[in-house]
Amino acid sequence: MTKLNDTRNVERTPPAPLNHTKPFWEATRDKRLLLQYDPRNGKYQFFPRPVSIYDGKGDLEWREVSGEGVIFSYTIQVRARPPFQGHEPFALGIITLKEDVNIMANLVNCEREDLRIGLPVRLCWLPLSDGAHLPAFEPVR
Amino acid sequence: MSLQDCAIVGYAETKIVEKSSRDIWELSGEVLGSLIRGTGIEKGEIDGLILSSSMTSAGNVFWSQAVADQLALDVNFCQTVDIGGCSPLGTVARAAMAIDSGMCHNVLCLFADTQAAEDNRPRRPIRQEWTSAIGYLGPPTAFGFISKRYEHQYGLDYAALGKLAVTQRNHAILNDLAVEKLRKPITVDDYLNSRMIAEPIRLLDCVMVCDGASGVLVTSRRNAEAKGCTKAVVPLGYGERTHYRAAQSVFDITETGHLVAGQMAFRQSGTKLSDVGSFHPYDDFIIAILLQLEMLGFCQRGQGCAYIRETDFSHTGDLPLNTGGGQISAGQAGLAGGGTNLVEAVRQLFGEGGARQVANRKIAVVTGIGGIPYTRNFATSSVMVLTSNA
Repeated sequence: MTKLNDTRNVERTPPAPLNHTKPFWEATRDKRLLLQYDPRNGKYQFFPRPVSIYDGKGDLEWREVSGEGVIFSYTIQVRARPPFQGHEPFALGIITLKEDVNIMANLVNCEREDLRIGLPVRLCWLPLSDGAHLPAFEPVR
Repeated sequence: MSLQDCAIVGYAETKIVEKSSRDIWELSGEVLGSLIRGTGIEKGEIDGLILSSSMTSAGNVFWSQAVADQLALDVNFCQTVDIGGCSPLGTVARAAMAIDSGMCHNVLCLFADTQAAEDNRPRRPIRQEWTSAIGYLGPPTAFGFISKRYEHQYGLDYAALGKLAVTQRNHAILNDLAVEKLRKPITVDDYLNSRMIAEPIRLLDCVMVCDGASGVLVTSRRNAEAKGCTKAVVPLGYGERTHYRAAQSVFDITETGHLVAGQMAFRQSGTKLSDVGSFHPYDDFIIAILLQLEMLGFCQRGQGCAYIRETDFSHTGDLPLNTGGGQISAGQAGLAGGGTNLVEAVRQLFGEGGARQVANRKIAVVTGIGGIPYTRNFATSSVMVLTSNA
């Protein structure tokens, strides 16, 4: 079994949100995952954008979601730049959430052999120095 | 049709080096001088300048003017194309548009970057929120995702990918302008055993960032004939697609905009895949070649590895591939790297391939890949069909 680094000890620079991404990061302070929702088209989107990716209009809602999903794809980072340098190997995944959006995140609490496309995962949080949290995912056990 | 009324009447290329001791403007001057000598078109006749973007010029909002100033070009049309690695190929299409509209007659399309020596990109990445925070390495990570997904959907024969790496390396050995470090033979085992970067992406999947410059001179076919240009390559078809399927939250990352860009280019060109004498796909990662073979229809979706196993891609083979070594084995001259694929295609169509000349020099196909968006594949995908036989 190849142990993968959870990257919990990486000193990440907290993101500097834009107006239209601020609600996302604010909610992470309470470990809540918010996605933009387009009520006209009945669809979610990620990452947060100034307009709906479906019809180009504004007036998007923020909705809290559970963070349940499956691995769409993944890659093991064997080389990294600072501040991740020295924390390799660690896993990055693209997760398809139940709401049908793809989100890129660290895959944690797993070993190399656990990982496969289609694996059910659930949301967990990595703390940031400014009180916000970074969404990450771990296998459902 | 504007595109087909134009002709590339000259090409030029500097040596690709690991880190240039010569300034980007000096390299640009070498390309200009070489094109003037090669075509007989004088500097004063060049009335259009179109640049590909560069890491060295990043942040300079006066770039095309500054380059025109350095080269003392007095022009009626001046711009920089900013679609990443698709920019060099994109300049040819835009030159045709500018000539067709009557804005100018002789356009210098110039591709120069000294990313290794002087990378002026802002330190703080614009994707800091969504990618830097998780340790995303950039293109190797993105191609890691693409490779894993491809493997899941279709299976992936890494030895077949290694065959592409070996073929291109053999071509670089025949190319005096390729970066010297890479002009050494490799085997499929060398490819398979090269160290992992972003699993399953290996070192020998990746381009090496280098410095260099290239360019082509575009004019109208009528002018090319009037000037007595004996060598001319005509763009027969072009397709360019940016943010393919942008309005989909989840989409198949093994499908790229080359699917539609290729259809546009081939439909416009009136040619068939079986007419293609050499193929010069943008190659930042080996698997990008496999995807493009599928997207353009050389083989069925998911059948790329089988196709690679049964096809000879050497310069004397069934489908000569990146006969100068491509960017992966000649070195990637930063954002000017797409010029390496383009110039090699023009060189082959001119019949100036030397030791690596292909037999069928009627039709060549060049592609571009520019930018890698969040959770997707390519920001821009482009395809151009070129002929020496119009």
